[in-house]
Amino acid sequence: MSDIPVTAKSAGQLNGELLSSLRPPSRRWYLLVLLLGAVVAWGLFAFAWQLTHGMYVTGKNRPVMWGFYITGFVFWVGLSHSGTMVSAILRLSQANWRRPILRAAEAMTVFCIAVAGLFPLIHLGRNWTFFYMMPYPNQRGLWPNFRSPLLWDMTAITAYIIGSSLFLYLGLLPDLALARDRASGWRQRVYGVLAMGWRGSAHEWSVYRKASILMAALIIPVAISVHSIVAWDFAVTVVPGWHSTIFPPYFVIGAILSGVAAVITLMIVIRKAFQLEDYLTPLHFDNMGKLLLVISLLWTYAYFVEVQTTWYAHEPIEWEVFSFMAGTYTVPLLLMLIGNALLPIVTMCFQRLRRSIAVMLVVSLLVNVGMFIERFLIIVPSLAHKNMPFVWGSYAPSWVEISVNLAAVAGFTLLFTLFAKFFPIVAVTDVRELEVLQAEVPLGRAKLPAIVGEE
Amino acid sequence: MEVLGIFRDIATAGQGVEALVKAGFAEGQITSLTSVPYPDGVLVPGGRRSWWRWLTLAGGLVGAGAGFGLAAGTAWLYPVQTGDKPIIALYPTAIIVFEVALLCAIVGTVVGMFLEMRLPPRDKRLYDPAIAEGCIGISVTVHAGGEVVACGEAGEAGTCIGVVAALAAPEQREQAEEIMRQAGALRTRTE
Repeated sequence: MSDIPVTAKSAGQLNGELLSSLRPPSRRWYLLVLLLGAVVAWGLFAFAWQLTHGMYVTGKNRPVMWGFYITGFVFWVGLSHSGTMVSAILRLSQANWRRPILRAAEAMTVFCIAVAGLFPLIHLGRNWTFFYMMPYPNQRGLWPNFRSPLLWDMTAITAYIIGSSLFLYLGLLPDLALARDRASGWRQRVYGVLAMGWRGSAHEWSVYRKASILMAALIIPVAISVHSIVAWDFAVTVVPGWHSTIFPPYFVIGAILSGVAAVITLMIVIRKAFQLEDYLTPLHFDNMGKLLLVISLLWTYAYFVEVQTTWYAHEPIEWEVFSFMAGTYTVPLLLMLIGNALLPIVTMCFQRLRRSIAVMLVVSLLVNVGMFIERFLIIVPSLAHKNMPFVWGSYAPSWVEISVNLAAVAGFTLLFTLFAKFFPIVAVTDVRELEVLQAEVPLGRAKLPAIVGEE
Repeated sequence: MEVLGIFRDIATAGQGVEALVKAGFAEGQITSLTSVPYPDGVLVPGGRRSWWRWLTLAGGLVGAGAGFGLAAGTAWLYPVQTGDKPIIALYPTAIIVFEVALLCAIVGTVVGMFLEMRLPPRDKRLYDPAIAEGCIGISVTVHAGGEVVACGEAGEAGTCIGVVAALAAPEQREQAEEIMRQAGALRTRTE
């Protein structure tokens, strides 16, 4: 008699399919890693060039001292909201469709915030003195000045990196035990250490469930505060176009928009790469599409409010910045409005389009193109045309800044690719839990799906 | 000493637990090992009161104190006079307090969780990889001394045994193995 229980799809089958990403890598995987590694190496070379030649190799000059690096920083912090939005909020609201998406979203958060954290360090003029930001007793007799928003960023990003890594690890714990039981050799030893001796006793599950909910509740304010603090980097200055009370919520909404779009993109890639069509179904894309629609509407509203207030008040310098932005950057501005508002709002209204993988891929990618442009249009025009007309200027990124930004994309993709090969990329336990808890219940002439509720 | 029975499905595992309880084993001695969580009471009762979430609160409070010390303490030790503004600025201090408090609360939660789960374990515990493939493990903790202990409903495993207390440990083990085999256990292991 076989040990394996007989169900529609046995637990072993489910484990096998959901852990398929852990199979030995193919030649294509190695090629991808090599290619991404090469782009990262190019970015490191560009950074080394900047380090040895000085900041003049970037396109930054008076008055635009924040350029592509800070654009990249704000963009990646925004992307990192994916894990919080999709994982923590949907976990707290007990939305069952979240289950196959959780892990990708949580991992994305960790890698995005890690990439984001590099940008302020790259942006520092003297990068080698970055440790001045760390508070520790030193011979200089100085401690960091916490009045500086740079320190707020460092504290918030440190909290978010540690918090979201622990959140990811917590979700991984039972899956690491599963992987341990199915692996051999060095992998078994590594998974064994990381699984910390997890057996899945009733008590362990009970504590684990409570801890997951508590962590989800704790990580949400951290995520919101991180992007609010990034917004305050701008809003607490008196630079026209930045000094606005709506900035923190506007930034948070934008962050969630880009995060949700990025999760959709990743879902499509993972689905295709690991043949997870049975688990990442059109229903998941449909629900994510609805989420995207709501967030896009909110973003559009916030952007409209911001522009409408500027237009109606017609305060000269504020209006000058806006006019300069709309006149000089007309094409990017239109692309941003199409990518962040028009396209998602029009397409995501229709179920057929929400369930089309191709449409979702195009929309999610364009949302993030739009979001990168949005960050750029917030930063550069305000600095280029601020209060003193005799120091107005312009900005164009140099090859160094473009290379570092491209390396950031490649670095994130590389980290995610490696993670997906060595750790379960789908939350196996969460998906299997749903299989156990759901059943078909006869009601009248029909049989309807029913799910035992979580506590 | 621990006896582990491996069951093919949730129904037979439930029967095994029922039979163990009927034979006099206390609920607190029995636990289930599963690869997915089942609601409390499906196999064994849960809902034991636990203290570990106080660590979240403690972490938050310690973090708030540390954050205040870091931001306000720095300003106080290295004063930077800016116009008539206060040396200890409220706004940056509040930001640092909030971030460090939440960070420490999160760390406190994870540490508390592992302490409550007693992970990683000090010594090797019984386990069967078939559990990962969907089988259900029912574990019975056998009291070594055979001393009668009054049992509450949610007693700690290993601290409370009921009527089987009169038996010596090896007999308790044999009884548990026999009951689980009769209930449909695929195999039993003892350690």
